[in-house]
Amino acid sequence: MAVPATASTPPLTAQEVTVEFSGVKVLENVSFSAGPGCIMGVVGPNGAGKSTLFNVITALMPPTSGQVLIHGKSMTEARGVVAYVPQHERVNSRIPATAWDVVMQGRVRHAGWFRRTGRSDREAAREALDRVGMWDRRDALIFELSGGQRQRVFVARALAQGADILLLDEAFAGVDMTSQTALMDVLLDLRDDGRTIMMSSHDINHMAHYCDECLCLNCNVCACGPPREVLNEEVMAQLYGPFGAVPFHGHGLAGDDHGRHN
Amino acid sequence: MDVITEALVGPFQYSFMVRALIVSVVVGVMCPVAGVYVVTRGLGFMSDGLAHSVLPGVVAAALFGTVFFAGAIPIAIGMALLSGYLIKRAGVGEDASVGILFAGLFALGVVMINVALDRGVAVNVNLEGILLGNVLGVSTQETYVTLGVGAVVLVLLYGLHKELYFSNFDPTGASVIGLPTEKLEYLLLTILALVIVIALQAVGVILVISMLITPAAAALQLTRRFTSAMLMAAAIGVASGVAGLYLSFHFDLPSGPVMALVALSFFFLSVLWKQKAAPVLQRQRA
Repeated sequence: MAVPATASTPPLTAQEVTVEFSGVKVLENVSFSAGPGCIMGVVGPNGAGKSTLFNVITALMPPTSGQVLIHGKSMTEARGVVAYVPQHERVNSRIPATAWDVVMQGRVRHAGWFRRTGRSDREAAREALDRVGMWDRRDALIFELSGGQRQRVFVARALAQGADILLLDEAFAGVDMTSQTALMDVLLDLRDDGRTIMMSSHDINHMAHYCDECLCLNCNVCACGPPREVLNEEVMAQLYGPFGAVPFHGHGLAGDDHGRHN
Repeated sequence: MDVITEALVGPFQYSFMVRALIVSVVVGVMCPVAGVYVVTRGLGFMSDGLAHSVLPGVVAAALFGTVFFAGAIPIAIGMALLSGYLIKRAGVGEDASVGILFAGLFALGVVMINVALDRGVAVNVNLEGILLGNVLGVSTQETYVTLGVGAVVLVLLYGLHKELYFSNFDPTGASVIGLPTEKLEYLLLTILALVIVIALQAVGVILVISMLITPAAAALQLTRRFTSAMLMAAAIGVASGVAGLYLSFHFDLPSGPVMALVALSFFFLSVLWKQKAAPVLQRQRA
């Protein structure tokens, strides 16, 4: 881990983040903090600003006001600590890349400009692939892998990078149930290791089951806390309207095993 | 000397053939290597446009009596960066910005030639040579510049390979890790501009695309790794360039089009090979 997490400064803090696009507020006064060893799920309807929030955290987009702190530092000072697992349609599928090639991308900044990657980089990549259970498939092209395997490779890239904050924006879209479970097992393992994982998904039952904290977002923060406490009817109505566009089974909460919907 | 040795070595007793060989090899390496990015990024139309936009620069260089690179390189790099800017910042689509800028510049070049001729200014511009290339007419100075430009491109593509590969594969992920993806994009466009200009001598405006795309597309049929595709594309490119040179010397054919045809036949061979071999490989993997 690039920056050691201390008890006093949480790994990820957002302070009154507001983002406006030509006068329209997409995010308004969004504040929260995510501790070490935590899976935080971002829940909200389409257009709630979930992807915008991820873009601000990864410094792809500057907030109109407010700030995001990574271990108490600005995002640009803390480069490399945050890693991003892309939705698979966001990567160029015409460029051939094996699982190994993708994980080695995580070492680009360690090696430096005009330098070739060395033994320590290969060692880190091997460890990362091992950790997500994809070492045996290292020579497979990324687009020959199933959706879940592919995402595990991108998680391995984040590990090789040395990131301790992982962002997964809709990373489960188009991933079948078996792969989803394998990917989730990897993420739970990384959480137990002290990493902070932030993910968004349209599957609210899935989020309720696995997340330690839920950030309920609809332009502003409707609620933030353990799913058992915040995913109630009142918040659901704020997110999805009075008729609750998403069927949500209240009994599927974390720790409640028969709530597993597969 | 026996017949075969004579056929292979004989042409190079002429110094123009030696220069043509050097330029063909440099173009045969650099165009296909950069071409792997062109094919995988879908930059074919952009590259074709860039080649056309160079014409006013070539005409201006001829009017001032300087070497053709003095006009061609600045205008190619300028256009590459300007079109990159239009696509990224002004929100003009890629097709549209290529169409607007490059066709306009090509037209300007043709008008410049005619105006100069009408006023009785002797313009040492051979439009056919620009359009189809004339590698046999390359001067010593042009050969040196070609070698220099080739070396610069090689250093950039080799030295920044991991950064370029990452940012072309996953621009968002590369930005998050802190790579200057926008600058890398402009760098790639500059590299394209440079290889296109050196290729103009060999294959001309119209056929530049054949050296950029065809060997790279053939190589991508044959291999599953990006770097080995680059190496294989370079091998195919050099083979096309050199074979084209021999064929045009011995059978008195235009060199640029012959190089393009040889590259095309390599592409068909690679497709055939893939049809034959890929099902076998897939069965082995399964």
